[in-house]
Amino acid sequence: MLDAQTIEARFAIAEGYYLYRDKVHFAVEPASAGLLVPPLPDGKVKEDQFFGKVETYRGDVVVNLALKEPKPGQQVVIAAESQGCADIGLCYPPTIQRVTLALPEASVIQNTPTGGAKKPWFN
Amino acid sequence: MKPSLRNGLVLVAAGMIALAGGAWWASQNTAPKQADAVYALSLPDMSGTPQSLNQWRGKVLVVNFWATWCEPCREEMPEFVRAQAELGPRGLQFVGIAVDQADKVGRFAQELHLNYPALIGGYDAMEVSQTLGNRLAALPFTIVIDRQGRVAQTHLGPIKPSQLRAILADLL
Repeated sequence: MLDAQTIEARFAIAEGYYLYRDKVHFAVEPASAGLLVPPLPDGKVKEDQFFGKVETYRGDVVVNLALKEPKPGQQVVIAAESQGCADIGLCYPPTIQRVTLALPEASVIQNTPTGGAKKPWFN
Repeated sequence: MKPSLRNGLVLVAAGMIALAGGAWWASQNTAPKQADAVYALSLPDMSGTPQSLNQWRGKVLVVNFWATWCEPCREEMPEFVRAQAELGPRGLQFVGIAVDQADKVGRFAQELHLNYPALIGGYDAMEVSQTLGNRLAALPFTIVIDRQGRVAQTHLGPIKPSQLRAILADLL
């Protein structure tokens, strides 16, 4: 967390993989915490035969999320959904990764990833 | 000396045949269970009608798991269409299981002039692919089942036309 209301979400996309920009979604549990998602960073534009122009991400992608109604000391879960493929010619179904965050009371910040991620997409 | 040696050889040969026979029986016994999971699937087609994969028992069945959001999947399908047209009369049947939304699948199927069934699968279908070797739960994943209902081959990732034709040549 960058401060009491801002969460830096970082996708560390492994080499040889890419994510689709339009398949990146965020949600917060409980929804009442009020997640604010800014416009996502631009990706690399690719011409897809079927879908037309698509944008993909490689390497590190950072999205600063914000909470409208954070309660100090509250625990929230950020769910990040993404979908992508490997250059070798495999694609993975949309995956949701969840991270539990304890909102700071003072200035203590804890990130506890819940559920192992098979690929290093979300830190 | 010579007669006993010959007897010894005969005994060894008989033992080897018995072992080979046992191994063959074992593979016959376990493989049909694997294909059964595929035949047991019943999934909706483009018009929403449930289609049981059991109806294609006895064919050389190529089940291809794909999705429109999987570019490598889309790229290999024209070759499947060609193979279906050419070898369908000899008992080849492709079935596509799309882990996807019906409207997108329908649109792509039309563009491609798909000449084999496109069924819609969800996580249940993906699970079947996982039990059959799709360790990464990724696409495309292709299962080739012979006329006797045995899994002849599974393939994760795009399959080259030459590879596909070689597998089919053996089975058709």
